[in-house]
Amino acid sequence: MTNTTEAGLLVSTRKGLLIARSSGGRRDWDWSELQFGGWIIDYAVRDPRNGTIWCAANHWQWGARLHRSEDDGATWSEASTPAFSDGERSLQGVWTIEPGVEDGVLYAGTMPAALFKSSDDGASWHELSALTNHPTNERWEPGAAGLMFHHLGVDQTDPGRIVAAGSATGTYVSYDGGDSWQQRNGGIRADNVPPEMQDVTPCIHSMHAHPRQRGRLWQQGHFGQYRSDDDGEHWIEVGRDLPGEFGFASAIDPNDPDVCYYVPLDFDQARMPRGGALKVFRTSDAGATFRELSDGLPQAGFHQAVYRQALGQDGADPLGLYMGSSGGQLFASIDGGERWTLLRANLAPITAVRAWTMT
Amino acid sequence: MAIEARIGRGLRAHVDAPEAVDVHGDTARDAIACLMALHPQLRRFVLDDAERLRPHVNVFINDEQLADRAALSDPVRDGDRLYILPAVSGGSR
Repeated sequence: MTNTTEAGLLVSTRKGLLIARSSGGRRDWDWSELQFGGWIIDYAVRDPRNGTIWCAANHWQWGARLHRSEDDGATWSEASTPAFSDGERSLQGVWTIEPGVEDGVLYAGTMPAALFKSSDDGASWHELSALTNHPTNERWEPGAAGLMFHHLGVDQTDPGRIVAAGSATGTYVSYDGGDSWQQRNGGIRADNVPPEMQDVTPCIHSMHAHPRQRGRLWQQGHFGQYRSDDDGEHWIEVGRDLPGEFGFASAIDPNDPDVCYYVPLDFDQARMPRGGALKVFRTSDAGATFRELSDGLPQAGFHQAVYRQALGQDGADPLGLYMGSSGGQLFASIDGGERWTLLRANLAPITAVRAWTMT
Repeated sequence: MAIEARIGRGLRAHVDAPEAVDVHGDTARDAIACLMALHPQLRRFVLDDAERLRPHVNVFINDEQLADRAALSDPVRDGDRLYILPAVSGGSR
């Protein structure tokens, strides 16, 4: 069990960012005022190495920006933003930011689909073009939200190993820091193309590389929930008994590689929980069985989605989970999902939730 | 004489810029480049990383909407007003 003394939440919404802090065992939260009001926050995350908060803001008219804060969100400065240099593509959004291993290294997954790296703590960025130019890119196809890389797994023990997943790019892995990439989609269903089609680039909605077990990946996609034990060379469908093959959000427990949480939605033509009941499912045995976790969650009339980055975990033991809905409700559990409480309502649609604890 | 670039209220809500700025040039591209040189904080709001006019930014020369959004070749003359305004886009049903 973790002796949690302080916890933090970054709640990204389509109308700004909220930051919450708790020093009361994750039960009582102090909330910031809305930051970047009116801007779509595509993603916000705290770099555990130095406490810097990164905020990817976006605006219909004025484009995508990165902001950083060194003082827990009290003040912000606009940071250098990944930019394409080919004169053709233009940045539509930063969907994820992941700290690297070496000091100052950061990765950013963007729309249009590309991966950028910074080696100077975000002062400058360059595109890892071997991924963008992968020969399978002809099969990439934008989902409803666009074409982007939205989840990255950066191995904190091996700077060369990076896993990248996107919509609809499928999953790629690099073992040389991004100089070359291998497509890794074996065993994933893609019911949007004929079964004879090869080299499919499936629509991945969320993907996590477990930090304690090399090769262990989890994902939720357009057509099923999957686990891999070999960096995606083979995927095993684990969610066939869940109420919905579709879904966006998933989360892992960084303390246990056999644990994964899913928020299944009915199939892709509905994209809301089956029967109007919001349920989270947890496996603790690598996907062999699942436990339904719905205590405290609305079990009727819930017609919202949980977006792909809107299920956050705080890494503590017991695990804290924080789930934001497309209708602006934020639910929290501090016992690994056994019981949920409503933390906030009436927010704008929640795009991402990230959490941390300090011990 | 000069061209008067006028920055819309919707843009000034996000970035510190005057309402009106005197700029010079023979084309909209020249005038916008002059504006960006005088107020570089506007650049990333008006242009994308490929130096194109952002799709939801409207430019008018007096009462005429810019005809050439790609190359910004529309001619401008001293005494013209060049408006940079947010389009009424971005909503959802």
